Amino acid sequence: MVDMSNSSQPRMHRRPFSVVTQTGFTEMAVICFVLLYAPLVPLVVYSFNAGSSLAFWEGFSFRWYVAAWNNEMVKDVTIRSVYLASVASVIATCLATLAALGTTRTKPYKGLTAIYAMINQPLMVPEIVTAVALLILFAGIKQATDYHGMAYLIIAHTAFCIPFAYLPIHARLEGMDLTLETAAADLYATPWQTFRRVTLPLAWPGILAGGILAFVISLDDVIITQLVKSPGQNTLPTYMLGQLRRVITPEVNAIASVLLAVSVVMVTIFFFLNRKNK
Amino acid sequence: MKWKLTAIATGLAFALSSGMAQAGSELNLFNWGNYTNPELLEKFEKETGIKIVVTDYDDNDSALAKVKVGGHGFDMAVPSSNYVPIWIQEGLLLEARPDQMSNFKNLEARWQDVDWDPGRRYSVPWQWGSVGMMVDTAVYNGDINTSSLIFDPPPELVGKINVAPEMGDVMGMVLRYIGSKPCTNDKAMLEKARDVLLAAKPKWRSMEYGVIEKIAAGDLAASLYWNGASFRARLQNPDIHYGYPREGYSLWMDSVVILKDAKNVENAKTFMNFIMEPENAALISAFARYANGVEGSVQYMPEDMATAPEVVIPAEFVDAGHFVPPCPPDVQKIYTAIWTELQK
Repeated sequence: MVDMSNSSQPRMHRRPFSVVTQTGFTEMAVICFVLLYAPLVPLVVYSFNAGSSLAFWEGFSFRWYVAAWNNEMVKDVTIRSVYLASVASVIATCLATLAALGTTRTKPYKGLTAIYAMINQPLMVPEIVTAVALLILFAGIKQATDYHGMAYLIIAHTAFCIPFAYLPIHARLEGMDLTLETAAADLYATPWQTFRRVTLPLAWPGILAGGILAFVISLDDVIITQLVKSPGQNTLPTYMLGQLRRVITPEVNAIASVLLAVSVVMVTIFFFLNRKNK
Repeated sequence: MKWKLTAIATGLAFALSSGMAQAGSELNLFNWGNYTNPELLEKFEKETGIKIVVTDYDDNDSALAKVKVGGHGFDMAVPSSNYVPIWIQEGLLLEARPDQMSNFKNLEARWQDVDWDPGRRYSVPWQWGSVGMMVDTAVYNGDINTSSLIFDPPPELVGKINVAPEMGDVMGMVLRYIGSKPCTNDKAMLEKARDVLLAAKPKWRSMEYGVIEKIAAGDLAASLYWNGASFRARLQNPDIHYGYPREGYSLWMDSVVILKDAKNVENAKTFMNFIMEPENAALISAFARYANGVEGSVQYMPEDMATAPEVVIPAEFVDAGHFVPPCPPDVQKIYTAIWTELQK
């Protein structure tokens, strides 16, 4: 008998293939990170400029943070943006959860692919097309009802947030162990109890991820908001865009830096929540 | 789950109620972003009891599109002079007759009757300015009151020039530079204009907006740009000066108009009359740093504005400034063709 194990031993000790060990990987990764994050550095640095320029450094100060904080307009648009993003992302996440359940906890049926495509349609259609369509549709409704409230923006934002919330929830449900749900059903749990006690807790990290993603997407939307908004409905991004066309002061940098900090904090919270849940 | 539903319900209720509270003494102004002085709004509210809500837009076309489809909810807008005729032709404006308002007499004589709104039956000036030469005199200390600085640049400036990507202004300026006039349909002249532009292009660095910081920091040495921006660049770097091309340069004016489907017409008329008061017009200028067209408002403006050569056009160059009319479609087509070639 030939001892195969002995002869193959040296080869077994070779490290398994890993993309990390390939030549050029580190360099490539560094270049990508620099391209992604380098532009943010001057943005944040100049938000602390004591002068009113984006090109000359005149010393360190919190002047522009104070200016932004005291700017009634900035306060007003920030509150509106956060309110809009909260309401839209909560509704979108609820709907996306239902949609994800409907497309995973069922036997494959005819038309499932079509439904899947329809749910993700806002990802495929160029935003400007959706924006123009909504502009025309809502203009008709606005004329007919004479209602100019936030509902239009909430509906529009909810609609384009759904696929962003849907994808992580769908992935989570897809990857879950179905035997747990079956076991619950075997133990006489009602469908609602099964959902409440088994499915929902297990899917929670996905739902949270979807919610956060939807919130961030809604928070920085410009094009659709610009065309749908009614009088008095400037949001933070549309306000900043208007600012850019005229006088740029580091106040915009300060606002942008705070937004950046908020998104970093949110991603970090999400990261820890997710880890705990695993 | 329950708290979530409650949150949604409250959210929706709040959303609906905030929209319903439309009635009352209100006025909805649709204006360029960062263009309206909050102090002006406060003063207006205090004097008239009318609450004014400003909503931003950032270009003429999207504002026009939004108003055109209807159901927008705005009472007033502030289109640029070359767009006002389009708004009028589209039937979007209310003939508010500002020429019969009590403060109309405060307008400087030259703004009381304008090409884009004959007899001022629809619009009232908000702010106006010019497009000229913004030059770093530390780099080039020759004559800056000529458009040859960009169309046939001196060696000091080559490679350090920016041109604002405004088709109408650039085409108008080059046509005046070669001795023709804007919107001409003279093919030979248009061809010559194209040749001048194409020959000059390699000597430019960029065609973009947002150059105040770059020229102040010395990245650029000259730019075809707006006067108010040049003024702000000078406050950062005293070497930046503004030249008025004697061959001819463009003027622009943004004007306040009342929309035909406005809900608060009387309030809107009150606002129109209000901003023709010198003291109030000065507030507009103090914020965005352009002139306003109201006689006697200068004395209420910040000191540095009242004397700024970028704001107050020196007498010898006044006649060289012209408003760019909207060109007829066939000329517009040639403009676009030249412009496309230039941007290649």
